[in-house]
Amino acid sequence: MKKFDELNYYEILKIPTDSSYFEIKRAYKEALSLYDEDSIITYSLFSRNERDEILKKIKEAFSTLIDENKKAAYDQMLIDSGQMKASISFGEKPYSSALRSSDRTIVDESHLHSRVKEKFSAEDIQNLSKEMLSKGLLSGSDLKKFREALGVDIREMHSATKISVSVLNAIEEDRFDRLPPVIYVKNFLKTYAKILQLDPQKVVNGYFKTISLSHHTEDSNSN
Amino acid sequence: MAKIYPIGGGKGGVGKSFITASLGALIAKWGNKVVIIDLDLGASNLHTLLGMKSPKIGLNSFLNKTIQNLENAAVPTSIPNLFLISSFHCYMEIANLFYAHKLKIIDAIRKLPFDYVFLDLGPGTNFNTLDFFLTSKEGILICTPEPTSIENSFRFIKTVYYRKLKQLIKKHTFDLLLKNISEDFNNPGLKPPDILEIVLKHDSEKEPFLRSQLSKFKFKFIFNQFRKNLDASLGDQFENICNRHFYSMFQFLGYVNYDGRIQDAIFSKTLYVHRYPHTQSAADLKNIAAKITKIIPPPSLTDEV
Repeated sequence: MKKFDELNYYEILKIPTDSSYFEIKRAYKEALSLYDEDSIITYSLFSRNERDEILKKIKEAFSTLIDENKKAAYDQMLIDSGQMKASISFGEKPYSSALRSSDRTIVDESHLHSRVKEKFSAEDIQNLSKEMLSKGLLSGSDLKKFREALGVDIREMHSATKISVSVLNAIEEDRFDRLPPVIYVKNFLKTYAKILQLDPQKVVNGYFKTISLSHHTEDSNSN
Repeated sequence: MAKIYPIGGGKGGVGKSFITASLGALIAKWGNKVVIIDLDLGASNLHTLLGMKSPKIGLNSFLNKTIQNLENAAVPTSIPNLFLISSFHCYMEIANLFYAHKLKIIDAIRKLPFDYVFLDLGPGTNFNTLDFFLTSKEGILICTPEPTSIENSFRFIKTVYYRKLKQLIKKHTFDLLLKNISEDFNNPGLKPPDILEIVLKHDSEKEPFLRSQLSKFKFKFIFNQFRKNLDASLGDQFENICNRHFYSMFQFLGYVNYDGRIQDAIFSKTLYVHRYPHTQSAADLKNIAAKITKIIPPPSLTDEV
């Protein structure tokens, strides 16, 4: 079962990706009332903080999905991280371009995939991955080191994941202030991890532990 | 092998025994061999709901070894195919069941040669109730559409998880550290995700294992004593919330509408679905029984039960 913070915006509002403006609005109202502190169902289930967090996410989902531009960017992110099929969101746009871009991805990925797989079987790489994941903490430089050990270039990573090079750099250089919102980072990390044959959840957990530690030490540094 | 459905839920008076008796009667009437077991130890009265005098044979005969096989402790009821194992004549301190006796009962329940076994559990979250609930992965929770009852249902689910995790920790070679964290569980403000998180905080390697264990549960739930003026989406909301914030699958089986005649039937010691087969509540119970068994009720029988 997915936990709430792993749900994407569509899952949070329980709507299909091609929902109309009115459907999104209705779903939003329903979600708000379900998590309202006076809801007979949920009043006893969450602390004030947890409830605030959930409501914040619901509002985020709504404000993203009703805004055409934001929705398109969000959909793109879902497509890039493999959570959504390209054809759904490109349905209304010229079909050929969508088809071409997804075709290319498949070719690139499969090539990269076999190369990574071959390298991954080497003992030193295996040890490196074990050592890295066993710490519980994971930094961007760990990821970078591992990527380079597998001989994957950052450009290649970009074309395989569709994550922009600047974001990839921010992730690998631990420049947390330059990272996009949490949900994007989580999905980016999962995609990144999959390419390198690492356990996506462990990578996300380890990386976010590092982020939260850095917040503790430099609490004043907020964006 | 029998399908076993423990029927529980945190609160007393929500209708667990009533629903157990009704579902048992309906499903038996559809041609299945059904036994209902009164496990509300120390406060058993399932026989009364079935309009029976307290049977001499029951769980007591099994525990004091008068009979060897639990199957033989099942007495027939006035409904063909429906049997009852009562705990009425058990020793006075039956509520504090010996651990060995409990294991013996659970083991015997799993071997009963019936099509369906329904366990009528007591209120609250004591170890007996939880362990009987854990006899099967498909427990049914009964709650009423009241905040207190819903709150208790959540608490019940959490304690079921907690009990299950404790069993797992005992059974598998977990860190010593992990075994010492149970005091964390005693925090009354514990939220559902916390339970697993506490365990995982100490031993993150076990996450996939524990998650997969908890995801094997397929909880079902029924809203009893539902009234017309209430929000009709309550059941779906509850299902939605549980599926999102707990680790298992939840299925809403349906509402049983409130009917004053249910009380009358209980007072006159007759089975409600027998006496008032054409009411809304009887139809609700029928729908729920059909959903559990995936049996389409034979139309010729809709006039009876």
